[in-house]
Amino acid sequence: MKNYKLFLIFFLILFLSTIYHLPAKTAKLLAGLRPTISLAQTFTSPTYNIEFGNFNMTSGKKKSASFTLTDTVGQNAPGKYDSNGYTVKAGFQYIYDSMEKFSFSISDIDLPFSSMAPNVGSTQTNTITITTPSAHGYEILAIANHPLLGNNYTIPDTTCDNNDCSKTTSAPWTLSTAYGFGFNAIGINTSGVATNIGTSNYFTDSTYYRPFADFSNDDIPQIFMSENSKVTNRLARITYKVNISINQPAGTYSNLINLIAVPKY
Amino acid sequence: MFNLSLSPPQTEFVLKPGVTLTQAYEVTNNSSESITLNTEVLPFIPQGDNGSVSYSALLANPNIAFSLNNANLQLGQPFTLAPQESRQLVLKIKTSSDTQLADYYSTFFVYQTNDMSANSDTFSQSTGKIGSHILLSISNTEFPKIEGQIKKFSAFPKIKDVFFTPINFSIQIQNQTNYFFKSIGKITISKNQKIIKQLALESQNVLANHQRSILCKNQTTCTLSPPLWPGKYIATIEPDSNLNIPPISTSFWILPLSPIAFIFSIFFIVYLFRWIKKQVKF
Repeated sequence: MKNYKLFLIFFLILFLSTIYHLPAKTAKLLAGLRPTISLAQTFTSPTYNIEFGNFNMTSGKKKSASFTLTDTVGQNAPGKYDSNGYTVKAGFQYIYDSMEKFSFSISDIDLPFSSMAPNVGSTQTNTITITTPSAHGYEILAIANHPLLGNNYTIPDTTCDNNDCSKTTSAPWTLSTAYGFGFNAIGINTSGVATNIGTSNYFTDSTYYRPFADFSNDDIPQIFMSENSKVTNRLARITYKVNISINQPAGTYSNLINLIAVPKY
Repeated sequence: MFNLSLSPPQTEFVLKPGVTLTQAYEVTNNSSESITLNTEVLPFIPQGDNGSVSYSALLANPNIAFSLNNANLQLGQPFTLAPQESRQLVLKIKTSSDTQLADYYSTFFVYQTNDMSANSDTFSQSTGKIGSHILLSISNTEFPKIEGQIKKFSAFPKIKDVFFTPINFSIQIQNQTNYFFKSIGKITISKNQKIIKQLALESQNVLANHQRSILCKNQTTCTLSPPLWPGKYIATIEPDSNLNIPPISTSFWILPLSPIAFIFSIFFIVYLFRWIKKQVKF
């Protein structure tokens, strides 16, 4: 028993000595010879700092048959603000040309729900692709002009299996007895395999749905995909689903879905 | 198909009331089909703390007028782009001398006009819209006074082993003025008054009277990777002096938990082995 007490005291002393008495330099050396200072100043050198650069934001881009731009917006020379009355704050617009442009695409515009039958969900899909420059990410929002509407009847927005999804929260929608119109978005790779990158904060998986924000109801567009960093050709598959009951009046229903891509500021 | 590019994705100006300026945008139709487009400018407000925006039913400021300076195109007027065609749109921003000194945030949108064709089936139609933010600071001085505070600066976990998982830093900066600023600064991590590492903050916009979570350079989470020598560490966030934000510190402990556990387990195994040996003898 005495040996164990000595053993514990020995380790306690060893433990305390490692904390208080070894210098940081030794610690660094023992910690794998890592450098102490991070030099991750990507856009800085001894001779320039692009964040405070003095670039002409419109230079080299003045091409139009009908218009010639001759001003030099973006100059930030001393005294410029007093003479012109404006200046350009450092922003990532200065480096956009050397990187990818802010681009957004939607693969299929038309989404016909042909051969709809009561209690059998009908789906349509399209793929969105987004590329952002070296900035602070993006977000994609969606809003419908109104619910699916035809002959003064509407197909209501889905409330999912347990009446627990809304325009801002998604929930599972798999039951054939849960009716309505809604959508799912899931991040995919170039092979079409679900990765849920960009969409995981909004849809847990491909069984989760939510209704669109409704412009006719004064809703505002709701985010369904976003990331905080630069992306190149990020893909997501959007699934639009309709499930009608036997009481749904026959007719042709339609609406417009507006998908909006903006950078993060 | 909708496939558009818009450049630049964001513009930021400081301007005096009554000043007019222009900004050129380039919109490109990257698809193989012609597309009819339109333009609009909508005000936005920041939402959350990670750079998101909200287009609530905001009324545009009547003292700031947006228009297109193109000879044959007005804001809100449809135009067509042929496949792979680019067009320069010159946005004119005109402020009146009565404009209140503050920040104004808007997005310049280029969007596809709807062309709902007759269809015998029930159908939806997607339309695309792409936007570029405009951050305007209306000020009588080039460098309006800015002030903020670090609303949150914490290290997680507070006690950690010398190996394995990193220490993560969480930062939230509050802007207490009517003008946006950029989160320029650094985190200095020291032990025994000696600097172990410095992490540069990403230059992110913190909008007026709003707060934002800040990342480290290259849009990465601020982390301190193991292995680390045991002891008490102090992490201090030091925003650029122009931001008028006082630095604050937080601390965390690195303990040799895994080495001690390893040594203990060796002793335990030896003890167990000897005990089993003793039992076998009897």
